[in-house]
Amino acid sequence: MSEIIVITSGKGGVGKTTTTANIGVGLAMRGNRVALIDTDTGLRNLDLLLGLENRIMYDLVDVTSGRVKFNKALVRHKKYDTLYLLPTSQVKDKSAVNPEQLVELCKEMQKDFDFIIIDCPAGIEQGFKTAIAAADCAIVVTMPEISAVRDADKIIGELGRADKENIKLIVNRIRPQMVENGDMLDMEDINEILSIDCIGQVPDDEMVVTATNRGEPVIAMKDSTAGKAYKNIVGRLCGERIPFYKPPKEGFFAKLKKLFGMF
Amino acid sequence: MCKENLFRFYSLRNAGVIDLNDIVKIKGLKSGLQLTFAKGASFDDVQANLLHKLQTGEKFFIRGTTVFVPKDFFAEEQNEKLRRMFHRHGMLFSTELKMPTFPKTPTKTVVEVKKAEEPAPKMLVINRTVRGGQEVKTESSVMIFGNVNPGAQIVAGGNIDIRGICRGFVHAGAFGDESAFVVADRLMPMQIRIADVIARSPDNMEKAQQAERASIKDGHIVFEPIMR
Repeated sequence: MSEIIVITSGKGGVGKTTTTANIGVGLAMRGNRVALIDTDTGLRNLDLLLGLENRIMYDLVDVTSGRVKFNKALVRHKKYDTLYLLPTSQVKDKSAVNPEQLVELCKEMQKDFDFIIIDCPAGIEQGFKTAIAAADCAIVVTMPEISAVRDADKIIGELGRADKENIKLIVNRIRPQMVENGDMLDMEDINEILSIDCIGQVPDDEMVVTATNRGEPVIAMKDSTAGKAYKNIVGRLCGERIPFYKPPKEGFFAKLKKLFGMF
Repeated sequence: MCKENLFRFYSLRNAGVIDLNDIVKIKGLKSGLQLTFAKGASFDDVQANLLHKLQTGEKFFIRGTTVFVPKDFFAEEQNEKLRRMFHRHGMLFSTELKMPTFPKTPTKTVVEVKKAEEPAPKMLVINRTVRGGQEVKTESSVMIFGNVNPGAQIVAGGNIDIRGICRGFVHAGAFGDESAFVVADRLMPMQIRIADVIARSPDNMEKAQQAERASIKDGHIVFEPIMR
């Protein structure tokens, strides 16, 4: 039996699609059979991040409306051959797919895959309700910023209302320097409000932008800090216990300097 | 203090609603509503008057209330018409008054409103965190085992007890009980209201260090540390 994971956030622009692509690639690198479903109908991006836009033949709407079987619409990744993408339509809107159709589709796909990862649209409307319907685990992505945390809180409430109890948290785009200066929420503040199990802390990394534009997820880049964090997330999803990466602590001399600075 | 306020509130409301020259007078009793009609009022006028009151949603005419009408004022069949009209609006109709302590022919009746029945003391218990956008509303007191997150709303007729961190919006004594209070392990609400007194959080709030209790003292909301 495969696991169906929905990646959601409430707020837009916190990195849902980036997280979906990276976790997908990460799981596939470990040899799992992974399907990524983009449910952000009308604003699809997942295919861009994976560099698969030119290979799309059919989309999610074609599948749910019964025009083609799902395996015809799946696009295999050019590099990782156990990774598949089910893109959505760019011309239709969110009402084109309803929750029952997606549940049905996921049930069918479960036989062929180890992981099905659903990329959820921003917001809490129809698109969100459709995306979460089939999932048995949800990953909430947020940023260390008051509005993103507030929206994540709301989303967790909504997931609870839909009886989704298995909820994990990823905090994206952390800037360690700002956190240290007290200009950004730290993990303690976020955990205090959201109080759910955190499986990832991803630092803000310029290479994510490069990776997005190139169409190859940052997890595959060797010297990226964000890529490393995503690798750890994938490990934790597979049940490994990996401690969170912490920026190196101040050395003895730095402490001494600070002490003298005080006088 | 609280009772006085309640009374003032009611009497204010009455002033707007009751016209003393009305041909129908209403008096609230423990067992229902007593109607008296002006001398010489015709049945048609009374019926039209009552129908208007019923349709405009007069506040006294709550479903399930018994309406008492003087037995001999109108003929039997006319009473029957009234009975049917009240039944249609979900009220009971009676010509026999069970209350013997009815003052005789009050000239200028000061109309009382039937006081809302005191709800049985009870407590709502919530065993989870109340998250942003969620709302808890209750007539009774409420106890929350979990946090109240920013953006959440708790409105209670009685007291509010939070076994966790309170960062949302809390309103205790929502029906005017100024003796109501709010207790939390860490009390840092966005806004706190007790009865009709409002306080908002300071613009740069410090983290609370211990359990606190908020209540009204001299017309202001005051936080006091408590042990628990």
